Amino acid sequence: MRRTVAILTGNPLSLLGMGLVSFVILAAALADVIAPYPGHAGAVVDFANANRPPGADYWLGTDVVGRDVLSRILYAYRVALGLGLVVLSIAPPIGVAVGLMAGYIGGWTDYVLMRITEVFLSIPPLVLALAIMGVMEPTLLNAMLAVTAMWWPWYARLVYNITRGEKVEGYVLAAEIIGASKAHVMFREILPNCVPAIVTKMTLDVGFVIIIASSLSFLGLGVQAPTPDLGSMVSEGTRYLPDSWWLTVFPGLAILVAVFGFNLIGDVLRDVLEPD
Amino acid sequence: MPPPETAFTGNDRPVVTILSRLLRRLVSTLLVLFGVSLLIFLIARVIPGDPARIALGPRASEEQVEAMRETLHLNEPIIVQYAFFLGDLLRADLGISLYSNRPVMTDIAEYLPATLELVFLAGFLMVSLGLPLGALSARYRDRWPDDLIRLLTLLSVSAPSFVWAVGMVLAFSFAIPLFPIAGRISETIDIQVVTGFLLVDTIVAGRPDAFVSALHHVILPAFALSLSGIGQAARLTRTNMIATYEQPHVEMARAYGFSERDISRRYAFKPSLIPSLTVIGLDFAALLGNAFLVEVIFAWPGISRYGVGVILQKDLNAIVGTVLIISATFLIANIVVDLLVSVINPRIRLSEHGK
Amino acid sequence: MPADRILEVCDLRLAFRNWAGTTEVLHGIDLAIAKGERVALVGESGSGKSVTSRIVLGTMQDVPGVQVAGKVRFDGTDLAEMTFKERRRLRGREISMIFQDPTMALNPVFRIGALFHEVQKRRDPTIRRDAACARAAEILREVAIEDAERVLDSYAFQLSGGMNQRVMIGMALINRPRLLLADEPGTALDVTVQSQTLELMRHMVAQYGTSLLFVSHNLGTVREFADRIYVMYRGNIVERGPTAAIFNNPRHPYTRALLAAIPRLTGGGIPEIAERSEAFLEPMFIHPEVTE
Repeated sequence: MRRTVAILTGNPLSLLGMGLVSFVILAAALADVIAPYPGHAGAVVDFANANRPPGADYWLGTDVVGRDVLSRILYAYRVALGLGLVVLSIAPPIGVAVGLMAGYIGGWTDYVLMRITEVFLSIPPLVLALAIMGVMEPTLLNAMLAVTAMWWPWYARLVYNITRGEKVEGYVLAAEIIGASKAHVMFREILPNCVPAIVTKMTLDVGFVIIIASSLSFLGLGVQAPTPDLGSMVSEGTRYLPDSWWLTVFPGLAILVAVFGFNLIGDVLRDVLEPD
Repeated sequence: MPPPETAFTGNDRPVVTILSRLLRRLVSTLLVLFGVSLLIFLIARVIPGDPARIALGPRASEEQVEAMRETLHLNEPIIVQYAFFLGDLLRADLGISLYSNRPVMTDIAEYLPATLELVFLAGFLMVSLGLPLGALSARYRDRWPDDLIRLLTLLSVSAPSFVWAVGMVLAFSFAIPLFPIAGRISETIDIQVVTGFLLVDTIVAGRPDAFVSALHHVILPAFALSLSGIGQAARLTRTNMIATYEQPHVEMARAYGFSERDISRRYAFKPSLIPSLTVIGLDFAALLGNAFLVEVIFAWPGISRYGVGVILQKDLNAIVGTVLIISATFLIANIVVDLLVSVINPRIRLSEHGK
Repeated sequence: MPADRILEVCDLRLAFRNWAGTTEVLHGIDLAIAKGERVALVGESGSGKSVTSRIVLGTMQDVPGVQVAGKVRFDGTDLAEMTFKERRRLRGREISMIFQDPTMALNPVFRIGALFHEVQKRRDPTIRRDAACARAAEILREVAIEDAERVLDSYAFQLSGGMNQRVMIGMALINRPRLLLADEPGTALDVTVQSQTLELMRHMVAQYGTSLLFVSHNLGTVREFADRIYVMYRGNIVERGPTAAIFNNPRHPYTRALLAAIPRLTGGGIPEIAERSEAFLEPMFIHPEVTE
């Protein structure tokens, strides 16, 4: 653990990653305080200041109804991180449980669970989320549900593969011989060995959840107006290309900065936690 | 002298092995597709509200709705409904789209080729640029080319493809007008549709000018679509190749004084392709999904506009049909990748039972 | 330096440098092999015997963070004075190597014939595939492989470990190198198969007049094999001398411990051996050379 921290703080790339991520988290947490126009997160109209290019009053410009792009980006970070937090606190436990059971118990449990996982994995993720959103009302809650539904199978497969390998290791056999319960072996013996891989994947997944969620709202199927969202901001902005370039470029950059930050940390974590 | 040794395991019929593997893959793919149809069917049926009422609109009479419920088998138990759905599916009948009033099959056949053209070209870019970049990175591990490639590929996977599409349109269509902003082909060109793949149809029609125009239109969207895929492929190739570099056969190649170039290509890259290609096949799913995003930016007349349209209209038949066809495309692409891998991998090609 | 020495190592030191500092793993090794002589380097894992063979091979010098000091002369020329290219030129032509696990050491995606072709291109870059395979078939018959053509047409995973070991021996000797390095050859194989292939290797080396540096953790294995033995412990040579002298009159405490560790058919139980002992650090004992 101490070594992990030492390497994370000693590597310039992970330092950059942590810098970007803390910037994004602070921006989201302190949006109320630091946003120049906190009211602009909602359905505000200020036609007098519509379509301003970036300048002293509006650092990143204003949109077609006169809302400050910077303020909306800060609030959009709040939505994006919240979504990531919810999805990554629901999907991994489900996937881990499925993967552990399928991998350790084997037999029919393995067959049925992994075939179901396979079915989920054989629908392109974005398309599955689209289909789920298609039959439900496009709300923030449903967007989370849709993304969670497409996310757990990846954890199931990851944990399944590790479990299959660990199952035949000496320490598992030893626990079985002294009569440990299946639940004990799965959660106390095997699970700790999956933790590094799960942690790494979760770090990298924060970025991917942000990407998928912004993609859904880019297509008009995620977070709905007037809640600020990076994907829908880009989508609205594309109508005013190339003249009002700041409407697409800054929200796009905002996505890149956040996801890049999490990916940098995840990348270094993977090198440290999974050295092979 | 020790006795001669003749222990030998082999198989003289690699073609048979590959065919039987293909057959097994097809069967398991059909099973998965069956599961996909069930899943999509269930998702479509949990929709709140009455599909018949949605189909007919709020002004239809109760009798009309009841008649529609009868035609759509909505009064039957859900398992019977699914049986009817499967029966239609086996006759390649996906029902009528409420959005376009045409058979869903006809709609998909019209829009899918444009998407596939984009996706295939992006897939080609992903493999032809991603693999060499990853190989370069692994060969110069922890030196500056590696650092540079790692940073760039990590950036490329850090934004959704619509962001890259916007960036490229701004850079290469507006700022430096190298490529057209939208569309599949110059509007003044009229081409007889045969396959729906313009790059093929223009050749069939014997129109090199049209082919160039189609290529000119498809390059930017395909590159925007493939950018994340290139990054993924390069990162994966690097990881697998570095693992291969640690294998004893690479040390043996060094011990025999082979050049680093030879070692990188024949001893590290080629064996590492076997695990890499399988995963790159899975990345094809991301290309198919992301095509929805890129098509919007480039006004590409593919499945995206149709798909989003039918979703907003809650057009169940069309939603189910579109998802099924896209998943089938993905699964078929993976069978092709699997075949490629078994051709490269002698262990599969020559093993008795394909294990 | 006597002219009949193919390899001479003087005061060889090796250190790894990383973020924590520098760790020396070889503390001044002296070693010499005469032309046609078979020498064994014996020690426990981690004693530095494998890295010594990598330095002789010239690959260790190119690893980042590795510092090599001292002299390694191959046929009178100091490796340190050679460029990277010149060192590489020796490998596969003048110096060759056999590895621990023959199946893992053969490229899995090429046929044995193609590998033989590549190896022979090291000596003759213009050699054609059929000519290379014809020569390979010859040498495979010398290592007692009867269906040589079929083996050349196979991949390593299709052959047994013993078969691959024979292939490996043939491959290592086909370019008539002057020095063969064998790093724990066949330790991954069954004991019977290992002894068969070692016997083959001994026969081939004698027939070709190749000098041999045999690296092993097992004194028993090298007894039939080596003219002289160097015993290595934690980066130092602790005893050296003719094989008979080492076995009949071991002088260094560590050598005695190693000898005691060889299982005996006559039984008598497992000897008690200290894992670490102050005595193991005693200075080197040099047996007098037998003059012929």
